[in-house]
Amino acid sequence: MKYDALIIGGGLAGLTCGIRCAAAGLKTAILSGGMNSLHFSSGSIDLMGYDDEGELVKKPFDQVKKICRARRDHPYAKAGLATVKKAMEFFIETTSKTGLTMNHNGDMNHFHITGLGALKPTYLSQESVFSPRGHDILNSGEKIAVMNFSGFRDYYPEQTVAYLKKNRIFAGRDIVLAEISLPWYMDTQKNLHEFRSIDLARIFDTAKYLPRIAEEIRRAAGDAAAVSLPAFLGIKNYRTIRKRLEDMTGKFIYEIPTLPPSILGLRIDQALKESFIGYGGEFIANERAESGPVDSGLLEHVNTRNSGREPVSSKYYVLSTGSFFSGGLASNSQRITEPVFNFKVDADTKRSKWYSWFFFDAKSHPFLSYGVRTDKNFNPVNEKGNTVKNVFCAGAVLSGYDPVREGCGGGVAITSGFACAEKIIGELKK
Amino acid sequence: MIKLENISFDHCIKCTVCTIYCPVARATHLFPGPKQSGPDAERLRIKNPELVDASLKYCTNCKRCEIACPSDVKIAEIIQNAKWNYLKINRFRPRDWFMSRTDFVGSIATRLSLMTNFVLKLRAVRVFMYLLLRIPYRRAFPNYERSTFENMFRKKIAPSQRDYEKRVVYFHGCFVNYNDHSLGKDFVKVMNAMNYGVDIMKEKCCGVPLIANGYIEKARKNAVYNIKSLQRAEQGKRIVTTSSSCAYALKYEYSSFLKLNNSGIIERTDHSTRFISEEFSLGNVPKMKRLGIRAAYHSPCHLECMGGVMHTLNVLKMVPALDLVVLNSECCGIAGTYGFKNENYAISQSVGSRLFAMIDDAHPEFVITDCETCKMQIEMNTSYRVLHPVTVIAMALKEE
Repeated sequence: MKYDALIIGGGLAGLTCGIRCAAAGLKTAILSGGMNSLHFSSGSIDLMGYDDEGELVKKPFDQVKKICRARRDHPYAKAGLATVKKAMEFFIETTSKTGLTMNHNGDMNHFHITGLGALKPTYLSQESVFSPRGHDILNSGEKIAVMNFSGFRDYYPEQTVAYLKKNRIFAGRDIVLAEISLPWYMDTQKNLHEFRSIDLARIFDTAKYLPRIAEEIRRAAGDAAAVSLPAFLGIKNYRTIRKRLEDMTGKFIYEIPTLPPSILGLRIDQALKESFIGYGGEFIANERAESGPVDSGLLEHVNTRNSGREPVSSKYYVLSTGSFFSGGLASNSQRITEPVFNFKVDADTKRSKWYSWFFFDAKSHPFLSYGVRTDKNFNPVNEKGNTVKNVFCAGAVLSGYDPVREGCGGGVAITSGFACAEKIIGELKK
Repeated sequence: MIKLENISFDHCIKCTVCTIYCPVARATHLFPGPKQSGPDAERLRIKNPELVDASLKYCTNCKRCEIACPSDVKIAEIIQNAKWNYLKINRFRPRDWFMSRTDFVGSIATRLSLMTNFVLKLRAVRVFMYLLLRIPYRRAFPNYERSTFENMFRKKIAPSQRDYEKRVVYFHGCFVNYNDHSLGKDFVKVMNAMNYGVDIMKEKCCGVPLIANGYIEKARKNAVYNIKSLQRAEQGKRIVTTSSSCAYALKYEYSSFLKLNNSGIIERTDHSTRFISEEFSLGNVPKMKRLGIRAAYHSPCHLECMGGVMHTLNVLKMVPALDLVVLNSECCGIAGTYGFKNENYAISQSVGSRLFAMIDDAHPEFVITDCETCKMQIEMNTSYRVLHPVTVIAMALKEE
């Protein structure tokens, strides 16, 4: 069995790459060992949030342009500004085809509100987080309401409000803090505090209790123009459910992500997987790549956990195994490695330099920008120092950028995934 | 003392992703979900086994939680172990006893097949089964064949298999043995078309239903028997099943759950599509005609767990003019004997409802799946016939 493109890792980068390859008619498979970190994400896509001085970026593409010039090792520079733009367009189009709208503020960043009440600059958000109407309301100074369902323990609106008030946009604002009760739910013998976001999202997905919930929201919110709820307004049916709640309450309904699992991220994950499978891609779950011979400068095949005698082979491979949490990078007390193929990594050799002593250091931790060393084509380097031409790397496994300090994790994943797919498609055409 | 046998629960970061993908937690709030029942509760159970709770019985052991876990925690294994180590199970469970003894029931039912098939459709009998055995009234039962596949094979098929130089051992499993000879015949046909002869060895039920119903000692007995019997097959000969769950048990559950040494068979045992896929990639592709049908493919949980879906897809994509719609991965809800019990029937149906809707949306002529109980569930709940991938290849074979 031979694929055109075998993608190792089914996260944002791997899925974007897979969709582009499968849509181009390539025989594509994604190996996925465990669910990706979209399940822990805000559900917004950051493109470029902060510049090198830590200042907020207003126009993300302008900052990308600067980076393309100034930092040759940055994944954006390797892809080029034009590819970054194309990749974002491709992502917006892909998700919207499955019914998930990702909104942006023209060429400007917008904010999304975190569970702690911080405002984070981002480029793409679902309509419950950013839409022109919501944007107007939040900027108009009108009264807003921050709500939770009583008994739900994975979100604390008091925290959100306390921190929001420290921001100049909301400092003088009238903010209602309220709790509404969950509908009596027939099948449950559970105490409400046992529910996680996913349990509640499922109840919302049935759309059964909306009039009751709308009634409670109206009563609790008073004359507030916008109401924020913890993000579990349904999964597959979220758009219609949110629309109905808005119609019934006459208020803008905003979603704030809770503790994991993130329903906002789950929607993106499902949209991407649906799209990938729809194009004929094979999503192989429970399959972890373990090793593969790369000494010759080409990856010959991949041994996976289940492959046994017959390893999986492909014309081209994409390594999108993520960073430390997802197992794409590993560390022990001496060094940082890429555990599957032992590709060269960019990392400081001295362990004491990997991290900052201050957890919330404004300059971030050095290890966040560590990753697999790649050339301008995203090809990695094997132990002997030879470039491995049939492997491309995408997403958080890459070095040269700091997703936290720069606020660019999602954008890099999508861009590099897309760029790798374009390169594979180009190579196969030759 | 804390036993350090399985401390993978310590890798759990409480992200609750497993609960998203748990089909039972989606269907009912009676099951708190794999995170809470598995790694969370395991800490408590280690301290005090009495802290076990009755909701564990809702777990179907589909293993989707393990597939979803980003931290590689053996969630389903933890739950299964807890279920049978700690849960005080009522010893008198006639229904579960009969249901899990597929060999015992099967050998009687095939002998009396005409009567069994007739009686199982009678309303009075079904009411009786509903009331006394607590088996759902609406649940459709598979028909029983008139003899076992084993007998039929030895009498009618074995002689024709002698001429082949290359051979495989076929682990047919209970479903082929008692309920559906045609799949076994299709398998032989496909193997023969690929120049392989088929042998069968003495076998007992692989143990999946026994494990599911808590008869661990009996499961272990069967497993020991099967390992011994299959090991007798000549070295280098491959052992192939047409049931994804049998393959999963032989390869993985014997060692990981029953703690037996199956190293003599693990490397050469595979689900049929994997063997066929490997042969295909070596160029051993039989002559196939254009099939001209549209089918929806459903991936069974246990096949997915073994990473076997890619092989089935690879095989099906080689069949000429088979218009294949690959369905999003969803559990069908039957989970072996689980859906055959009154107390689980509603959950089982609710779990499967998403899959049934997807199948209808795909407008296929047939559904394809690798698992016999998925087949029963889908045939009962949709209007489509369900084919095994091997049957699809057999249909496409050019008659010599």
